[in-house]
Amino acid sequence: MKAALAPSSLTSLSYRTNSSSFRSSLLFRSPSSSASMTTTTTRGNVAVAAAATSTEALRKGIAEFYNETSGLWEEIWGDHMHHGFYDPDSSVQLSDSGHREAQIRMIEESLRFAGVTTDEEEEKNIKKIVDVGCGIGGSSRYLASKFGAESIGITLSPVQANRANDLAAAQSLAHKVSFQVADALDQPFEDGKFDLVWSMESGEHMPDKAKFVNELVRVVAPGGRIIIVTWCHRNLSAGEKALQPWEQNLLDKICKTFYLPAWCSTDDYVHLLQSHSLQDIKCADWSENVAPFWPAVIRTALTWKGLVSLLRSGMKSIKGALTMPLMIEGYKKGVIKFGIITCRKPL
Amino acid sequence: MRLITHNMLSCNIKGVTNGFPLRIEAGNVIKKEVDFNPDFIRHMFAKLEWKALVEGARSMGYAELPEDSPDAAVLESDESFLKKLHHALLELHLEEGALVCPETGRKFPVNKGIPNMLLHEDEV
Repeated sequence: MKAALAPSSLTSLSYRTNSSSFRSSLLFRSPSSSASMTTTTTRGNVAVAAAATSTEALRKGIAEFYNETSGLWEEIWGDHMHHGFYDPDSSVQLSDSGHREAQIRMIEESLRFAGVTTDEEEEKNIKKIVDVGCGIGGSSRYLASKFGAESIGITLSPVQANRANDLAAAQSLAHKVSFQVADALDQPFEDGKFDLVWSMESGEHMPDKAKFVNELVRVVAPGGRIIIVTWCHRNLSAGEKALQPWEQNLLDKICKTFYLPAWCSTDDYVHLLQSHSLQDIKCADWSENVAPFWPAVIRTALTWKGLVSLLRSGMKSIKGALTMPLMIEGYKKGVIKFGIITCRKPL
Repeated sequence: MRLITHNMLSCNIKGVTNGFPLRIEAGNVIKKEVDFNPDFIRHMFAKLEWKALVEGARSMGYAELPEDSPDAAVLESDESFLKKLHHALLELHLEEGALVCPETGRKFPVNKGIPNMLLHEDEV
């Protein structure tokens, strides 16, 4: 078994590759967040302090990023903050509504892949759902409505949680969904509470993939399903210990502006799930099915409305927008993969 | 935050074994009407932690729920009970206040109806 894929090394990976970029971003770019480290004087002490607080800094960065950019995203793309699912090679220029339909299709395809919607009994048994990294609650509202279940969403961003609640009230779903500010790595729930554990494009933000998976496994009920849909880097081949330097550089640039810790591969998630006693572990590469997404996002950013909104939103949004071509480059060069990993906890 | 959510939340500070249920310190509680859906209430009943619900409701100023969890038969026949359960679960909102860990006393603030359950670095 490759050393790079052992669960314990996934924690060290996140600090090895990213503590330096976060240290530099904290010291040189965000005067406000470096305030907590100005009590030490030597560079060495500051580096140690930075590493210790880098998880806090990441959490804060993620919250601020989404506090700033959620409104902008919602204005242009609506309440689903995830990729659309398209037929491969669909080169048709889709209308706005085509992309929104694709985002709904992404939810449905994920449920189908996991085996949830192909089993009537299982569908009926879904009463409690947790939406890990819920954004402004698009998935929660959709799933709660679809299954007649209760969905609890967690996000690091108070702005998102507020907006999610407002949207739920506006859609008369306030009795079925609720949103909390909480950390996916320390979920405020007792064990085994949820029939469906849903993580739609939030895994990328988790600095400790092993801890993240542990939490997902902890909170899922016996017989319940975990669905993880996430950006990964390509699987490493036999004998490869790490990505090529040029690949790592590409990902590092994206990490800075999207507040992402180190990336892992779909294989890494599968291995983490295998280390727990779970059934029916499956994964797939849906990179071809999301190919039209980033070009579409860039097109909307380049419209008059898009540009004005970006300028109004702030630096984080602008930097995020400038990073989008790197996502396309990553996909084209096979570095970035869009993966789904699902499993079931035994009864 | 409604009681249907409170029924799911617990304190996850490292080392805590009795983090549920969280005590409610009610600052501002408001009532928001929600359409009564008896099937949804029956659906949810099976997975409720009853004592936590009764205590929580009392903290929010509602003492109409029975101390002991009724049996399923009551759900089918007694609509007035279902309505009380509906009211407690879905219509009482804690807008401002705090959720308190029963073991450590740590307070998790609730602002604009949203609990902040983030742990500090020394709590994980």
